[in-house]
Amino acid sequence: MIDIEKYEKLAALNLSGEEKIRISKDLEKIINYFEMLKEVNTDEIEPYVYTKGAKLFLRRDELGKTLSKKDLERNRKLFNGKFYKVKKIIGD
Amino acid sequence: MEIKNFTIEDLTRLTKNGKVSVKEIAESVIKEIEKNEDTIHAFISIDKEKILKNAEELDKKEKKGKLYGVPVAIKDNMNLADTETTAGSKILKGYISPYTATAVEKIINEGALIVGKTNMDEFAMGSSTENSAFFKTRNPVNPEYVPGGSSGGSAAAVSANEAITALGSDTGGSIREPAAFCGVVGLKPTYGRVSRYGLIAFASSLDQIGPFAKNVKDAAIMLEVISGFDWHDETSVNREDIDFTSLIGEEIKGKKIGLIREVSDFQIQKEVKSSLEKTANLLQKSGAEIVDVSIPHLKYALPAYYIIAPSEASANLARFDGVRYGLFSEGKNLRETYEKTRTEGFGTEVKRRILIGTFALSAGYYDAYYLKASKVRRLIEKDFEKAFEKADVLLTPTTSKTAFKIGEITDPLEMYMNDIFTIPVSLAGLPAISIPAGKDEKGLPIGMQLIGKWFAEKELLQIAYALEKGLK
Repeated sequence: MIDIEKYEKLAALNLSGEEKIRISKDLEKIINYFEMLKEVNTDEIEPYVYTKGAKLFLRRDELGKTLSKKDLERNRKLFNGKFYKVKKIIGD
Repeated sequence: MEIKNFTIEDLTRLTKNGKVSVKEIAESVIKEIEKNEDTIHAFISIDKEKILKNAEELDKKEKKGKLYGVPVAIKDNMNLADTETTAGSKILKGYISPYTATAVEKIINEGALIVGKTNMDEFAMGSSTENSAFFKTRNPVNPEYVPGGSSGGSAAAVSANEAITALGSDTGGSIREPAAFCGVVGLKPTYGRVSRYGLIAFASSLDQIGPFAKNVKDAAIMLEVISGFDWHDETSVNREDIDFTSLIGEEIKGKKIGLIREVSDFQIQKEVKSSLEKTANLLQKSGAEIVDVSIPHLKYALPAYYIIAPSEASANLARFDGVRYGLFSEGKNLRETYEKTRTEGFGTEVKRRILIGTFALSAGYYDAYYLKASKVRRLIEKDFEKAFEKADVLLTPTTSKTAFKIGEITDPLEMYMNDIFTIPVSLAGLPAISIPAGKDEKGLPIGMQLIGKWFAEKELLQIAYALEKGLK
């Protein structure tokens, strides 16, 4: 049995009722299905990290166009025009 | 006019000559939408007035661009400034894009007429578009069946003539599978070919934007428009080879077509199997040579994918917390606000995948799951490298079965099986195209998948075009 509540907490979810039962059952089954990967010998195999052709590069340190306050405010009003207001964190 | 039978080239010839106005095209598209949309439900947002207004504006502009006046539908996980972009999720209902995705901007710059934003499985997680938080899209070929997914709305829009071409995104098969189910062409480019800037991320090492079209050449034209390096996406690749149309129509004599031995280990619907044989024969008749290749780790692609993609998703979807945009559901404290927003905002499949990913990345399980899957991914890449030493392209069915009925598949693992032939290609980052190749006994379309070498879309499209010609 996987401890679903542990992962809910890590993922900031809080399941209940039917959905919780259903997802718990599905996870059990899906994670069980992953077991077949154990058959594969991966000794000395490097994990796949970068896709082919990808190169790391640096951008020039130049000013560019970014989102304006107006753009941002369409989706959530900024507090004081500068900040997103959230519930108190410190001392909670 | 009826836009139904027009290719991009035909249509732009008319619009550029001034023989047909963009407004006339818009009116014709709206007619198709009025005829079909009540049954198909391909679009999440569509505004007829706006289509007409945009058409009038295009008519006033200089008549130029590869897509001048061409009606294009956009999957609703791509940002288009000043419009709602939901990714099929309640958590983004009402979110207005502050900017436009690079791929979308590129088609607009070529004079495209944007029709609307298409329905999809929530955050592109699904194979049937049944996971949309809003409604189900139906397959235009037979409305009792699913259109495939996750880009089901884009596939259905093109299939129902509500657009000439469309943009979709493909993470594990989300362009190719719906293309196969709806009887249209769907192209997933090589990873890095098209900028992902402005595409709402699902699994960043796999996501790639690509076109749906009525034919191979239209798909090639669309790829020419949307591909290219973008400073905003550091995984986009800077390459000179951005011509994908000049080999179209050239003969394919001597090309080597690889048939993957392990494909026959899977259960395949009999009509799909015979279509595969017929397709291979057609290619042979065109002068191509059929060769046998092996992808020994093929069957491990699906479990590896369902570890890797949800792991990346669990990180990517952490940004949806109700603070800056989208749904906000207030709790007693910040933690509870996050939890309430996410629990109410995400659908069941999205939660399932976030939890799979969280599990696979968690302390104690990381090595056994995520790291193991990443190593298996490397082995799959190596298998393809070896196969491409013998073959120029590989041929498989796009899906093992044709479309299923709405509501028919409820088990998530069974749903995941729809992508057994598309997922290995995605894990390796290869380009692939699905093209219509006949119908089954029920009249449902069958799709064949051609897989190209990395960044060899030009050759892939050349061969796909020859095959399309043969199949007609």
